[in-house]
Amino acid sequence: MAGHDHGSQHQFTGFAKYFNSYTIIGRRNYVLATYGSILALVLFFKLKPKKMPVTEK
Amino acid sequence: MMVNSFSQFESPVFLTIPLILLALILPWAFYPSPSPRWLSNRTLTLQNWFIGRFAKQLLASSTPKVHLWATLLVSLMLYIISLNLLGMLPYTFTPTTQLSMNMGLAVPLWLATVLVGFRNQPTLSLAHLLPEGTPTLLVPVLIIIETISLLIRPFALGVRLTANLTAGHLLIQLIATATLAFMSIMPAIATLTSILLLLLTLLEIAVAMIQAYVFVLLLSLYLQENS
Repeated sequence: MAGHDHGSQHQFTGFAKYFNSYTIIGRRNYVLATYGSILALVLFFKLKPKKMPVTEK
Repeated sequence: MMVNSFSQFESPVFLTIPLILLALILPWAFYPSPSPRWLSNRTLTLQNWFIGRFAKQLLASSTPKVHLWATLLVSLMLYIISLNLLGMLPYTFTPTTQLSMNMGLAVPLWLATVLVGFRNQPTLSLAHLLPEGTPTLLVPVLIIIETISLLIRPFALGVRLTANLTAGHLLIQLIATATLAFMSIMPAIATLTSILLLLLTLLEIAVAMIQAYVFVLLLSLYLQENS
């Protein structure tokens, strides 16, 4: 397996400092963000209140 | 009860006693027990030489942490190779044709490699799910693809072993049946099919050994990724 990328040759700033596909931390954060987004989507659709059908008087 | 080509793979039961237990214990009877003597006999020396040779070959390029798994991996390899080769004998039952047994081996071992990785180095294990240098737009897609490929590994391990052994035994049975059928009608064709049967049997012996090695090799690779 290739050695760990310490990211010493990459100088990221701002958003890219925490989310990039070159450093271990950046890749980890991307993975966690993706999983978190999927979980949030699933929870959103599960907990969304269902519309009651309108009954005619 | 209908006898078909897959009847040979039915788990044998005799007076409600599942005979698969006998088939699973049988390889143990063929290996000599370790001796307390300083110089052991030729059989034991040969066995130990083979085990040492195989362990070195499997774990040569791995870290010392992976070497802790040497006993498990080598004994698993010996077990599967014995079950497969004993199944090549006529009228024997091959336990590794049962998907339930192969999944029973594959799932816990794969899960152990994943849990070892997440316990010892969680950051690196998570980071492995995204290949280095991925373009930003492809990041979510690749993470999902890598997750699916990770989760599919135990199924691939189990099904690979099952399918290879089952297909081999099935082919041998079909060609042997054809040879027997042709023997009285067309002996020339029967000769050709019997040569084919011989070659196929040799191939199946090789496949039996290779599939055991592949199973253990893939597990060691998954372990190396996570340690």
